[in-house]
Amino acid sequence: MPSSRILPEFELLMPQSVEEAVKLLKKYKAKASVMAGGTDVVVSGTQGFATEAVISLAKVPGLDYVKFSKSGGLKIGALATLQMVADSADVKKNYPALYKSAAINGTPQTRNMGTVVGNVMRASPSGDCACALLALGAKIVFQGPNGKREISIDEFFIDYKKTARKADELAVEIKLPAPKTGVVSAFNRITRTTLDLSKINAAVCLTVSGGVCKSARIAMGAVAPKTIRLIDSEDLLKGQKISDAILDAISASVGSQISPIDDVRSTAEYRREVSPVLVRRTIEEAIG
Amino acid sequence: MNKHPITLTINNQEYSITVAGHHTLLQVMRDQLDLTEVKYGCGRGECGACTVLVDDDNEKSGRKAIDACLALAATMDGKKLTTARGLGENGDLNAVQQAFVDESGIQCGFCTPGMVVKSTDLLEKNPKATEEEIRFGLEGNICRCTGYVKIVDSVKKAQKVMTKNKKKK
Ligand SMILES: Cc1cc2nc3c(=O)[nH]c(=O)nc-3n(C[C@H](O)[C@H](O)[C@H](O)COP(=O)(O)OP(=O)(O)OC[C@H]3O[C@@H](n4cnc5c(N)ncnc54)[C@H](O)[C@@H]3O)c2cc1C
Ligand code: FES
Ligand code: FES
Repeated sequence: MPSSRILPEFELLMPQSVEEAVKLLKKYKAKASVMAGGTDVVVSGTQGFATEAVISLAKVPGLDYVKFSKSGGLKIGALATLQMVADSADVKKNYPALYKSAAINGTPQTRNMGTVVGNVMRASPSGDCACALLALGAKIVFQGPNGKREISIDEFFIDYKKTARKADELAVEIKLPAPKTGVVSAFNRITRTTLDLSKINAAVCLTVSGGVCKSARIAMGAVAPKTIRLIDSEDLLKGQKISDAILDAISASVGSQISPIDDVRSTAEYRREVSPVLVRRTIEEAIG
Repeated sequence: MNKHPITLTINNQEYSITVAGHHTLLQVMRDQLDLTEVKYGCGRGECGACTVLVDDDNEKSGRKAIDACLALAATMDGKKLTTARGLGENGDLNAVQQAFVDESGIQCGFCTPGMVVKSTDLLEKNPKATEEEIRFGLEGNICRCTGYVKIVDSVKKAQKVMTKNKKKK
């Protein structure tokens, strides 16, 4: 009897180190998928999408860390779960957008299994941590056969589920810059129930000094084939005193930068209507 | 080739078995080990019927709740797990299970093994959980019968009993 708990057969590989995992990736390339928490890999399997091999990181030691220092910023290892990040007082205090995107992600059980790095690597346009980390200006560290490579998250999302990760690379860490005075952030999303994926989500990270916005990064998810930055809205905000008039202008600028579609979770019309409101609210929440 | 010899400790009993790489923990528990209290609802992390506890040193309570349908059995090699059957001592019901009985938190009973496991985890981590926190903590467990009110009542009752027992000790 067909049942959604039966996964298609694949070869399960369990490397004991990052080096061994990279060797396997070099051999299998796109024929293998990496599995961290598995909350996406297994669900895709139940829907009939499975690669020839799955490389599980379960036995790779030393990747389950969330490290913070005031000068060095935040480092999140490839096996740090969503719950570990949500439970970190340093994350909550210094990177509220990331905190919220992890704390409301899925269910308590999936937060105990799923990873933040997996959320980004999955590159779903609706990924919640992906959206927050794009606004926060994260860096991604890959380990490949020729060593380490670090890229900005700005270069990572290329198109629908297409990313700058090479098939033989393992993402080992995501980094966030050290907190600076005046830097504020926030994340919000719209869902039917909390365990649903986002209909739309938005995150902002601003540097504010004396009521004037010095720098701005605004990200949105589920309104385009990939998680995007709203560069035009950022430009409107930069160098300005944050006022109602500016917020009105920013809301008005959102529509031309998004290309939402109808799908199971929402309609393009709804997404168009609500996106400007969500962006505005998220900016207001960030500046407090 | 795709066979993995593993050892799982479930409810303090050790099982040394061989599992297929693509089999989930849920599948192995139910079909290979006959631990049928772990239920199959959705098979994709939405309903929590398959919730089990896994020991984890990173946790204050020493363990955490996961969905057995989303874990590959072979990746759980060496882990200590607890199902609804192993919550109490010597086969007794724990305070949460007893409260579900007393407060009628059970109707058809299909969601119950997952509910009591998750509620135990919730109260171990947050003994003073408010109603809002209880509801948020049970968001990954779906019940088609009770409408949740009786379930929340059961968890609150268990909370009272557990606090009392702690004071006695
Ligand atoms: C019930 C349910 C609810 C959910 N709710 C949400 C939600 O609210 N918001 C949300 O954003 N997501 C949600 N998700 C999706 C998912 O749980 C998250 O995206 C999670 O963060 C994925 O992490 P993981 O470690 O489980 O990923 P995995 O399944 O292990 O991997 C995900 C993808 O990333 C790749 N990958 C993982 N780690 C690496 C690595 N180190 N290097 C290279 N590639 C890697 C994998 O090959 C795969 O393509 C939900 C899923 C379920 C089942
Ligand atoms: S069967 Fe595992 S969550 Fe539904
Ligand atoms: S009691 Fe029937 S599903 Fe919960």
